[in-house]
Amino acid sequence: MDVRLQISMVFHLDKCIGCHTCSVACKNVWTDRKGAEYMWWNNVETKPGTGYPTSWEDQSKYRGGWEQKNGQPDLKMGNRSSRLLNIFHNPYLPKMDDYYEPWTYKYEDLFNAPEGADQPTARPISMVTGNLIDIKAGPNWDDDLGGSPVYAANDPNLEALTPEQRAEIFEIERLVFFYLPRICNHCLNASCVAACPSGAIYKRGEDGIVLINQDRCRGWRMCVTACPYKKTFYNWSTGKSEKCILCFPRLETGQAPACFHSCVGRIRYLGALLYDAEQLTSALAVPDSQLVEAQRQMILDPFDPTVRSEALKNGIDEGTLEAAQRSPVYKYVKQWKLALPLHPEFRTLPMLFYVPPLLPVMAKTEDGKYDSSGSELFSPIEKARLPMQYLSRLFSGGNEELVRYALKKQYAIRLFKRMETVGDLDMSVVGRALEEVNTTPEEAERVYRLTSLPTMDDRYVIPPSHREEAMQMLNDDLLQERGSAGLGFRELPVRGA
Amino acid sequence: MKHSLDHLFGRNSRWLAIRSEVRHFGLWLALFLPVNGPAFLHAQAQGAATLFEKKCYSCHNIGSGNKKGPDLKGVTAQRSREWLHSFIQSPAAMNRRGDPAAVDLFRKFSPEVMPDQALSPEEMDSLMALIESLSNKNQIFIPAGAKLSRPIAAGDAEAGRRLFTGKTLLSRGGTACITCHDLDGAGLFGGGTLGPSLTAANIKYRDPELIAILQNPNFPTMNSIFVARPLTDEEIVQIFSLLQSTKQANPTAAVAPGPVDLKFPLLGFGLLVLSLAGMNRAWKGRLRGVREALVGENSPRAGSLDRSQP
Repeated sequence: MDVRLQISMVFHLDKCIGCHTCSVACKNVWTDRKGAEYMWWNNVETKPGTGYPTSWEDQSKYRGGWEQKNGQPDLKMGNRSSRLLNIFHNPYLPKMDDYYEPWTYKYEDLFNAPEGADQPTARPISMVTGNLIDIKAGPNWDDDLGGSPVYAANDPNLEALTPEQRAEIFEIERLVFFYLPRICNHCLNASCVAACPSGAIYKRGEDGIVLINQDRCRGWRMCVTACPYKKTFYNWSTGKSEKCILCFPRLETGQAPACFHSCVGRIRYLGALLYDAEQLTSALAVPDSQLVEAQRQMILDPFDPTVRSEALKNGIDEGTLEAAQRSPVYKYVKQWKLALPLHPEFRTLPMLFYVPPLLPVMAKTEDGKYDSSGSELFSPIEKARLPMQYLSRLFSGGNEELVRYALKKQYAIRLFKRMETVGDLDMSVVGRALEEVNTTPEEAERVYRLTSLPTMDDRYVIPPSHREEAMQMLNDDLLQERGSAGLGFRELPVRGA
Repeated sequence: MKHSLDHLFGRNSRWLAIRSEVRHFGLWLALFLPVNGPAFLHAQAQGAATLFEKKCYSCHNIGSGNKKGPDLKGVTAQRSREWLHSFIQSPAAMNRRGDPAAVDLFRKFSPEVMPDQALSPEEMDSLMALIESLSNKNQIFIPAGAKLSRPIAAGDAEAGRRLFTGKTLLSRGGTACITCHDLDGAGLFGGGTLGPSLTAANIKYRDPELIAILQNPNFPTMNSIFVARPLTDEEIVQIFSLLQSTKQANPTAAVAPGPVDLKFPLLGFGLLVLSLAGMNRAWKGRLRGVREALVGENSPRAGSLDRSQP
């Protein structure tokens, strides 16, 4: 057993209202710079939809992630030699148009325009060239199903549906969508790290945050192709690639990342997970539909004494272990099995998990009337407007059982709370519902509390930062550091840069 | 010679004083000329002839026609002494000032531009005296030193070709001719194009003229290379022999530069097209944009509004 620590995330999609506050918070903190205007380290997509960059999930075009070749995982963008041959011309890069051309407006025209017959308008100008542009697309161009005959209809995940199901999704009054906020998944088997020819991308030993060393990045842009989530970006001004850093300067001072902190719907949870790095190879050797289970298998129980002693041996601090025990992510992912990774079939073992949305299933129309009751216990889930195939394509590599379980469990807990607060349901019915998802009223209550009434301390359990121990993990010869630049910094911090 | 004397005597003040005496010898002589008679006159004419051969003869004749520059026969009668002095010092400056005679010359001999000459007034005067005397006597200038050190032998032309193409290095470190000059049969892509083609060099220049150029290539570009690394006598014989044999092989070669040779640019263009086509083939499956194809825009700028700069 090789116990490692990962700062991991859960997004509860049932709570997301699609307000983009997270995106704006991130943009203001990190990507409001020249060359980074087009980057959205955090973005919120509408599903069904093509997202940002357009159709990023379509790996037949973008070639991100891993695939099994002769039983061995290899990058979908090509093997080692083909990557070397293409090093001066990576053929699978998104164009700027696939993201969007960032723009601002000529606001000064509103004040400086000469007197004329028409009101002056602020016309859009490109933030890349400074020329006037026609806006062709934006980072959330298909928000709330905008342009759905083009964008939503071309969602790559709809391939899992029959033509009838596809037609149904876009029927008037049956239209359905939900929001999918995305940041870097800080994967365990990160393909961006594997693809980097300069060795500039690394996964931080102490918390698993994937970072790009700006000193070593040479701008080959292999990571941009390799990341199946398209969450590494090329800064055309600095000539280096950048990505979500999970606000590690905030984490190290005990604050939640900016997008988490600003989340209006309180959908975001952050906490530590312990995992067994030795299982990595075996976890990847399974078919797509079993990947989620294999990944859950890798996550270790922080209460298990063996795990704890192995973790201590690997230099994981006692305080960190205590934080791992309180981790909301551990509960959602491993204990309650409510949260699922996004597109596990990309085989990067993403460590951002989503609780699939229940909301669109709540009501179905019959003769123009909303009806939330049914003869069958879980019939609303089975008759959901969003077909199970679609959600399983997103969250479980096609394994419908896992999604169905997560939805049924949420539904059972909802029935349970309805019985408690409204009192129009019978315990026999609710008990059957809970039993079917192998849960107890106590657990249902705990899920309900963490889902609906969590405090900030419940949602963000940030392990205490131990940079000095992280240094020890990197470099055993601490004497080399003594008296030079102090512990924890290899380079002098630059002020005002 | 000067260098070896420096070495011999050391750079002490006494030697410098003597050298300065020597340098002013011409002026000195001029003062005494009327008194001292023809013997000194002859000595002065000898010095001027050597100077002319070194400094002027690459481009100018006296009495045997225009070369790169005009024939100087009778020039002292045509122009005033002051005009000649300032022109020799800086022809380009005279042209810039708009001196009508200088402008005419520049136009006539374009694109050649006579470089500024670092000659003392005494040296210029001695040269003018030489020109004047030859013109008056209606003689042509015959360079005394422009002779081969030995008769041309069999195999010289081949040795000259090796020197020309750089297969044998020039012994004093000069650059091989092919770097800047073309010659008939100088390899697949010919020689450089900085200097003129030398195929007709022996037609354009008579033998002594050509030998003098090989001895003292007093053209601005060549001078900067060869003044410190002159050809040896043996190399002059061999290269001259090569140029002579080229003349014999191409007796009707055009002296003026012919039409621009498009062989090399065309080959380059062909290779470019080929390599682009190859790259297009190699990266056939490259990503060509996803959103445009999805939306069905042929061009990202289709149907644009006013696109003028803000």
